[in-house]
Amino acid sequence: MRRISRSYRIFLYAVNLLAIGFLVLPLVPVVLGSLQSEKAVQRDVYTLLPREYTVANFQLILSGGRQRGPIFEQVSYLPASVERFPAAFRNSLVVGGAVTLLTLIVGSLSAYTIARLDLSWTRALLQASLASRMVPLIMLMVPLYVLFRRLGLLNSLTGVISAEVGFLMPYAVLILVPYFASLPSELEDAARIDGCTRFAAFLRIVLPLSTPGLAACGVIMFIISWHELLIPLILLNKPEFMTLPVVLAGLVSDYFVFFTLMMAICLLGLLPTLALVLGLQKYVVRGLVAGAVKG
Amino acid sequence: MNAPSAVCLLLVLAYPVLYAGYLSLHEVSIRQLRTGEFPFAGAANFVKLFGDERFWLSLRHTAVFAGVSVLLEVVIALAIALIVNEERVWLGRVTRLLLLVPWAVPPVVNGLLWSFIFNAQFGYLNRTLYSLGLIQHYVNWLGDPRLALGAVIVAYVWRTTPFNILLYHAALQGIPADYYEAAEVDGSSGWTSFWNITLPLLRPIIAVTLVLRTTFAFMVFDEILAITQGGPGNDTWVAAWYTYRVSFQPPFNVGLGAASAYVLAFILVLVAIGYVRVVSRRIEY
Repeated sequence: MRRISRSYRIFLYAVNLLAIGFLVLPLVPVVLGSLQSEKAVQRDVYTLLPREYTVANFQLILSGGRQRGPIFEQVSYLPASVERFPAAFRNSLVVGGAVTLLTLIVGSLSAYTIARLDLSWTRALLQASLASRMVPLIMLMVPLYVLFRRLGLLNSLTGVISAEVGFLMPYAVLILVPYFASLPSELEDAARIDGCTRFAAFLRIVLPLSTPGLAACGVIMFIISWHELLIPLILLNKPEFMTLPVVLAGLVSDYFVFFTLMMAICLLGLLPTLALVLGLQKYVVRGLVAGAVKG
Repeated sequence: MNAPSAVCLLLVLAYPVLYAGYLSLHEVSIRQLRTGEFPFAGAANFVKLFGDERFWLSLRHTAVFAGVSVLLEVVIALAIALIVNEERVWLGRVTRLLLLVPWAVPPVVNGLLWSFIFNAQFGYLNRTLYSLGLIQHYVNWLGDPRLALGAVIVAYVWRTTPFNILLYHAALQGIPADYYEAAEVDGSSGWTSFWNITLPLLRPIIAVTLVLRTTFAFMVFDEILAITQGGPGNDTWVAAWYTYRVSFQPPFNVGLGAASAYVLAFILVLVAIGYVRVVSRRIEY
């Protein structure tokens, strides 16, 4: 590799620092806010770093509002979101897990046929998947609300899961098609000559070979489901079914806003997907690029 | 093997799109939802929609929001992708590791955290600017009609830019180094190489991101809900917010909401067709 001049090197360090600042600085207030008491935030309004730190916010949230500690002892009003946090976290895990599993099953079957058979209807399916990404979600939610109301699917996790699977499945297909297309078809051909059906060849040969592609697709599906607000917001209004984004959204219409509690809940809400993205970055990157470019 | 996904497309995509059309032509409000009978209303919902000043206001805000945010996303993402593509300093590896951090933040969390940053009394933007001596008095970023939409755009762009960075970075990795070496032999400097090699080769991927990001910007909802709820006044009402408010908050006029969703979808189709035309014309040479 060629050597680079000193001034160019300094320039590169400077722009890299700028880029890193852009990427992570907005998260610093979340951390600082979550480690203070509301009183401290509203008292020292001109300082950047807090004078004292506390984990009381996290204790309160993780105990579902029971473990109050000295800071919240005399507080008469607590946001409903604090109490709802543990259940919402569980609901989000259930919905995210189910959506990931179902989109992978349905999406991989479809993506495989699209990748292997170049027929008019497989092309149509691919184009329909592409086009569906352009349909505004809010447009689907109006009729889905009326429909689910009639079917009695409002206020159930099943309703939310089926709506999210339907909405995300085309995207899963777009991510998986280029992956299946990149696998050599000789192995399946050999298996079929030996008497395997196409479906058996898919199950026994293609799927085991495609674990990286399925991982890439699955992690993206889980993250999008974990982030989804509009679908559960419209389909759920009973607290026990709410997913995390809905409970978080409830914080804004609160009668009194505790910003420190809000930041602590935000931090807990973003940690799972942040961990996934940092830990499985290779897969996330591959999936996002595949889903956007080749489809 | 395709039956499940075909059913998904039909049930959760095609059917709702058609059913939204049906709803937009009928009177559907809280009372009709209870009885289950939707009387035919002809074009009444569309007449009401086009007579609603807030609808036009929402469309104008959406256009500004989409235009500015897509421009920022492309420019910032291109800059960071170029920075990250230079692999000769170790700090670049740190930047590459952190590229997707904003993308990992749930949109509603993103809205809440920026509402804390922009807070007028104790927000961290005011604290920072004050500490740097850039402002003497704290600014009410979200309460000022001239600033609020811009503030939401900043929050939105921060979360969505990493997606573009990834795609540009992947495309940059695909450009053979020989191109630049050949250009250097011919006496081309960094800047002219960028204009004559990098940008033309990135044009297809930039086109893809333009279409995708414009569509998503037209649908922005989470950040509006979490930061401004359409305020101050009606100054940050956007198209998706309009549909949500008329359909799912009193008076629950679902018919009107379906009509406005249809207009939004129609505009998006026009935008997509327009982009594809412009882009395919340019790629030909």
